[in-house]
Amino acid sequence: MHRRAFVRLLAAAAASAKAAGLDLAAKGPSIRELERDGLQIRTDLPPLKIVSRYSPAATPGMPGPFPGRVIRVKSDKCVDTTTNTANDPVVREMMAQGMRALTGATTTADAWRRFFAPSDVVGIKVNCGGYPNCISAYEIVAETVRQLTGLGVPVSQIYIYERFQNQMDECNYAAHVPEGVQSVAAERANRNTDNSGYDPETYLEANLFGEEDTRSSMMRLVTKRLTKIINIPNIKDHGASGATGCLKNIAYGSFSNVARTHQRGKTHTYSFIGTLASMEPIRSRTVLQIMDGIRGVWHGGPFARTTKYLFYPKQIMFGTDPVAIDRLLLDIVDNERKAHGAISIWDRNPNSLKMDDTRARDADPNVNIIIREPGHVDYAASLGLGVADLAKIKVQELTV
Amino acid sequence: MTAAVLALVAAVPCLYWTQGIDSRPTLESAGIKRLCVPPDQVEAWRKAGFNVTAISDADFSAREALPVPGTTPRPGVASPTRAPWIVASGWRFMRAPAGKYSYAVPTGKAALALAEAAAYAGDVVLKIEAADVPAAGAMLAFLDSLPILDLPPVVDFGVVDDGSPVTAEAMNLLARRNLLFEIEKAPSPRHRINVAIGTAAYPAQEAADPSAFAQKIRAQLTDEQRSLRIYGSEVVIARLTSDGKRARVHLINYGGREIEGLRVRVRGSYQSGDAFIAGSGKAALQDQVVADGGIEFSLPKMGAYAVVDLR
Repeated sequence: MHRRAFVRLLAAAAASAKAAGLDLAAKGPSIRELERDGLQIRTDLPPLKIVSRYSPAATPGMPGPFPGRVIRVKSDKCVDTTTNTANDPVVREMMAQGMRALTGATTTADAWRRFFAPSDVVGIKVNCGGYPNCISAYEIVAETVRQLTGLGVPVSQIYIYERFQNQMDECNYAAHVPEGVQSVAAERANRNTDNSGYDPETYLEANLFGEEDTRSSMMRLVTKRLTKIINIPNIKDHGASGATGCLKNIAYGSFSNVARTHQRGKTHTYSFIGTLASMEPIRSRTVLQIMDGIRGVWHGGPFARTTKYLFYPKQIMFGTDPVAIDRLLLDIVDNERKAHGAISIWDRNPNSLKMDDTRARDADPNVNIIIREPGHVDYAASLGLGVADLAKIKVQELTV
Repeated sequence: MTAAVLALVAAVPCLYWTQGIDSRPTLESAGIKRLCVPPDQVEAWRKAGFNVTAISDADFSAREALPVPGTTPRPGVASPTRAPWIVASGWRFMRAPAGKYSYAVPTGKAALALAEAAAYAGDVVLKIEAADVPAAGAMLAFLDSLPILDLPPVVDFGVVDDGSPVTAEAMNLLARRNLLFEIEKAPSPRHRINVAIGTAAYPAQEAADPSAFAQKIRAQLTDEQRSLRIYGSEVVIARLTSDGKRARVHLINYGGREIEGLRVRVRGSYQSGDAFIAGSGKAALQDQVVADGGIEFSLPKMGAYAVVDLR
């Protein structure tokens, strides 16, 4: 079999937007536009080579039909903070109002119909990394499935997915959705031994730290089976990328061999996250972002084995633009850190760095284990994935 | 019998078995029919139908003892999760191909040691634990089942061996990084790159950090020009042989866990091939792609050892 590979070489955002007159310039804003928006895109970045034979959709799912638009639905009643239990009817109402506001539809079903048809095979990208305290809420996932089946999407065409089966087993979404909804993972656990769940012909290649395996491949489920993806991340601090939301959940949660991007205090998440999210077909097929901000993690993320750093933003954000939502996310996490007197996610002071010392990081919110890269959101904007300029992001706030 | 057949027969490693003839059922149930035994036991084993070679304790001790293959923690040197430290002896076989070697391996390591010895056609005698007899028998049966294919090694550069420990450790790390080299006595015009430690191009102080040194050579070669690449694992070491029309890839998994979907890229004009996987037999190559001057394929699942023949 001969492949018709579609190869792009990205040296940096600057170089890519200028030189990759191929398709990046067409999809993304120019460097001049980025500078006008106040975005400083770094150029000291490793070469990244994209290999994919998939073409973009006429309107790729990211940033989709609503670039720069975010619906933020808040409710004080959405979670009982003493038990960490979400209020299902309130969450459902937040979902309904959010989806209607995003699309302008008069009914909730019509709002969902804007994105999905009965023939679609829909992936729901959850986030299990924060088990047991902060994962994609069962109530949000269940309501998503309910709306999809209400449109006529068969349960056999709905896939809840993550990278690691052991995490999916812990979270056990199957107990919260109708029988027949598929729960799928690419690997048994994070051991770097299972590759068969990934498509070896769709990958991002980069030699970051001298690793032998220089490829990060997209899940086969995404390339071969799904026609649409709903991304349901959490609001969480992240030791490498600063915060983890829409972009990182869809990117690092759908590709193999991504932990290699950080090592010994340095991370390449700045350009890696956005570049993965920009790859086809995941970019075109990820059509809806539902940011679960019922709970959040303000330090020590992406994990949440302890409640010590748990907080309650009590909101859900809706959109098609992952960059715009994540730009808001950065401030939510950083403001919570400030409220606790912790260093900013933007802190690059070497004195804050205790390389690889996760114990010290977990004990002290003024410790970084890696120089973080929250600028990955700006970089993703440079790839045309959305709007990072706060002045251009239109947020509509609703309260339930 | 052809020279190739003779070479292969000589390459099959031999189990050094000191237990008496009473242990015969254990060996027979594992399908083991060839042994190295102490001289005073030769006759008894021959009468029992075994193909035996006499090896005394002194003979065994006189062989160069090889370290137990596998992975091991090396804090501050190798990452335990992503790129663990690998103990491998392929470079030793390459350095002294006529050498006589021995392993004394604990339970669970016999199959891997046999695979390593076979991949490099080393003259090896192994002392194993009784609990490993079934695994050893299975690996020996697998080695016997492989099609005979004796091809010269593929190399991307030369390493001038001055016999020093520094060069030895550099070769260890070069092999561990799947950088294919040939050991030379002096720089050879056959190679695009000749690595001679101690020269201006390759100062000895650089080689003192063998991992960084291997990365330097890798950068000089460029990944695109390397004859072989491995994806999907950091614990597999490969050996590639070829005559230009056919190739054999030996894949040794040092990680101790099965690997699914290991991806291999081999430069050349190969169009297809077959995989032979220890523990599961012959298998078709998966997700095969012929493009950009090479062939790529995946293996369904492999344990300690697999061989891929390309044509």
